[in-house]
Amino acid sequence: MRFQDAVPDARAVTYARIQADPLVTAAAEALADATPAERLLARAVMNGETLDAGGWRTAFPTLFASGREPHELARAERVLAASLAVAERGAGVRDQFRGAIVEALTVILLARRAGPAVQRERRILFDGVRSEVHPYDVTVERPGAAEAHDCKWGARGINADVLHQLDDARAHAADEGERLSVGLVVFDAARSCQVRLAAQTAPTAGIGLVTLETLERLAREPAP
Amino acid sequence: MHDPSDPIELVTRALAAYDELVALAEEVEDEWSYVQDLAGAWRAELERAGAEAAPGAAAAIDRLADEVTGITDPHRAIDWLSTYPQAVLLALGVDPWAAA
Repeated sequence: MRFQDAVPDARAVTYARIQADPLVTAAAEALADATPAERLLARAVMNGETLDAGGWRTAFPTLFASGREPHELARAERVLAASLAVAERGAGVRDQFRGAIVEALTVILLARRAGPAVQRERRILFDGVRSEVHPYDVTVERPGAAEAHDCKWGARGINADVLHQLDDARAHAADEGERLSVGLVVFDAARSCQVRLAAQTAPTAGIGLVTLETLERLAREPAP
Repeated sequence: MHDPSDPIELVTRALAAYDELVALAEEVEDEWSYVQDLAGAWRAELERAGAEAAPGAAAAIDRLADEVTGITDPHRAIDWLSTYPQAVLLALGVDPWAAA
């Protein structure tokens, strides 16, 4: 098993530009230390129609209550500001940004555990196996403890292709006597992901699932 | 007497907006089953909520309901099928992610 940079096609070039946008970095950094409720605020704002910050504070009273500690209020305000900055880009652009934000967030959290072993947009090659066209969003490239993660904004992004790609990689690695943990990182609730997964006929066993309310796990432990 | 912050009434208002959201999301024919399953899972959570409303819950639910009933794109409605009930539960002071 070996890792390789993806061939830079037109999509990759466009996407790299989005990934490098300071808004993506700002949002991911704000979300890395956010609570699940603050991440939900981000999801709502980046899905939403209104760009009125006051309206969002009204919609999430527990995050902006006057009784909260100043650092908690500041953290929620930072998430709100970063999310509104993305939402202000308009519906078409924000769709592209949201996926990039989940990937950037995943990289930040994984790097707290795995440091420079964390890579983006990499292919995984196995002897005698035709390589996948699409690279893996985020990989952790450490001998004996490699990981591949696919990142999704919402549960709806989970589909058979993604599950097969992750499961195939895990199985091919095992065929070579290597351990490769594979998982989905979904910026949505576990309940919604479980509904989506329950309707899939593709393999799901052996594929980890990290969701909006459990993202901190990325910084602590590998996928199963 | 009418009490706008009565938890049961708040949940009823939240569910009415959710039903509108579901109707819009159903327009995406390829996702019809997913829409039903997802809405069913979250609707059950909303129906279980409402013993005691947290401060600000009434205004929050009105704001959230306004947000989702203003949506016209069925694909965006599907996104909100998950987000909206979580936000409503949070506003009610209920953990949306308990025992998922």
